[in-house]
Amino acid sequence: MHSWSLLPRQDVPAWLRVASLAGGIGLGLALGVVILLASGVGLGAIVQEFVLYSFTSSQGLAQTVTGAIPLLLVGLASAVSLKLRFWNIGIDGQVWLGAIAATGVAIADIGPAETRLWLMAAAAALAGAVWIGVPMFLRLRLAVNEVIATLMLTYVAFLLVQHLLYGDWRGSGIGFPVSEAFDEEGERLARLGWGHVHGGLWLSLAVAVGVAYLMQATRFGFYLTAVGENPRGALAAGLPVTFTLIVAVLLAGGLCGLAGFSIVAGQEYRLTQYIAHGYTFSAILVAFLARFNPLAVIPVTVAVAGLFTAGDTLKTFYQLPQATILIVESVILFAVVTVDFLARYRIVRRHGPAAESPAP
Amino acid sequence: MIDFLIHWVAAMPGYAAPLLLACLGLIINERAGVLNLGAEGIMACGAMTGAIVSLEWQTPVTGWLCAIAAGAAMAALFGLATVYLRTNQVVTGLIVVALGAGLTGLIGRTYISDPLAGFDPLDWGGLAAIPVLGPILFAQNALTYVALAATVAVWFVLFRSVAGLRLRAVGEDPATADAAGVHVLLVRFAAVVVGGCFLGAAGGYLSLASSQIWVEGMVAGRGWIAIGLVIFARWRPGLAVMGAVLFGAIEALVPRVQATGADVPIYLMMMLPYLATLGVLVVANMRRNRLTDEPANLGRPYARQDRH
Repeated sequence: MHSWSLLPRQDVPAWLRVASLAGGIGLGLALGVVILLASGVGLGAIVQEFVLYSFTSSQGLAQTVTGAIPLLLVGLASAVSLKLRFWNIGIDGQVWLGAIAATGVAIADIGPAETRLWLMAAAAALAGAVWIGVPMFLRLRLAVNEVIATLMLTYVAFLLVQHLLYGDWRGSGIGFPVSEAFDEEGERLARLGWGHVHGGLWLSLAVAVGVAYLMQATRFGFYLTAVGENPRGALAAGLPVTFTLIVAVLLAGGLCGLAGFSIVAGQEYRLTQYIAHGYTFSAILVAFLARFNPLAVIPVTVAVAGLFTAGDTLKTFYQLPQATILIVESVILFAVVTVDFLARYRIVRRHGPAAESPAP
Repeated sequence: MIDFLIHWVAAMPGYAAPLLLACLGLIINERAGVLNLGAEGIMACGAMTGAIVSLEWQTPVTGWLCAIAAGAAMAALFGLATVYLRTNQVVTGLIVVALGAGLTGLIGRTYISDPLAGFDPLDWGGLAAIPVLGPILFAQNALTYVALAATVAVWFVLFRSVAGLRLRAVGEDPATADAAGVHVLLVRFAAVVVGGCFLGAAGGYLSLASSQIWVEGMVAGRGWIAIGLVIFARWRPGLAVMGAVLFGAIEALVPRVQATGADVPIYLMMMLPYLATLGVLVVANMRRNRLTDEPANLGRPYARQDRH
């Protein structure tokens, strides 16, 4: 008789971690291709849209980079909070709040015109931090599950947007529920002359470098890792566990708010109902694929943004909904977390009768 | 005013029943120690499957059964990963939500907003004409009565049967249950699949009984609200009925107020169910230390080899 048994590995070697991540991504992409083929997209078209257009054509790459600007910010936010095992499922909500705050500053013409963009960005970051601050406070004081709390506030945020757009903020003389357009001077991020790529790119990259420095070269970054790995151990060692959580989570919310700012000030130039849908899951995908490493978040973001570019093409030329891209994303992450099992456990085949594993 | 109240109360069960079904499914999951955050995605699959089957074959009963099967299939995927491959339950749940939203968006896109053959209120032969109680008790659709019966059944199985005892033991202390000869992984997997049936049924209720059409995103956070309700209900089917009725009342309020033509900020009112969920979580957590039935091993994967 044979029996199969699982043995947890004491220490997972680096090559195995890399191999399991690569294997998971490969499996996920393969399944994604199968789903696209089943939806009637030919193999040639998949290569053309997902690889050649999204990453090598100037027009497609510009679209990918434009999409990557907010995605990089939310991906970093997700990496920071997930490192602490704080499950922020309300990223879309914080992006909405950032967009609302930036729009509020712009249409009310608050502050001098020269510094208004900065004020819009600051207001957006603050709004995002406040919106994540509520679930954080509830978790710290009452141990309320942050997964549900952050998500509930996402629905509230979107309803707030609708309340504003069907109410006081609706631009006059416009048939659609959108706000007034931002002034061309001082309220819009400048285009860089390549597709729709705008100045938010520098903001995103600077934030990425800053977060990488914070997480990997400062004492705070060490706290972050220690608290994430073992909160009780960190507390016993006298590390400022609560302080670390507060700072990291507010930072994450602020980054999501900034993402909302970059969308309204760089792409849309007004508040619409189509700003923050689907960033939450994409951000979690980015953070997981980058293994919560802020520098790795940059290339992963570009890759995921490429998926979105391809998704737009699928919508236009193949009448496939955006949901198709969501399926591909979820299949990739599913494959990655499942294949990880092989890295964490050793499958052993035993001879002889099935028996209890020996006592440790 | 009295008319408004009667209409409101009569509309409650229709809003409460899908939440109740979802809540029961999640109680079954969580009592076995599995935290299934994929509820929203599983419900979406149930809602879409029920709608498509009913549209293609004009049989709502078959539609509902297929919705249940779809829920079981999605849940089986979740169970395979979390129970047998020991993946993180939170991230796997989120994947199921995204997968459910994606699949229903892709497959259901040609069926959107087609009126379908659904479940209308049962005809009790004039009983609905009884003042006050009639519209509340005798003007509901068949699935609402099924949901109530299911509550009793779930309570009985969980707390009065050997299978239920094993299921709860697995959620409280899997190592001890294992030593006592309970097949921990099998019980957990079965609990996930049965819970998925209830979630699929809840989704099917939304498309077949509540709206009688399929619209993308129609679950609208009810899966998440149900997850919050489980905490509020302290993992008990009886209290789940109370929680579901409370939320049914809140949800039913919006269309009733709209029907009166009163000038109220409608989008702010629509925030109520979500804010109320936050509210009940706060209340539930404030008294948590005194009274809780939370399964001790909720959310932790079990592997015999990991025992210490």
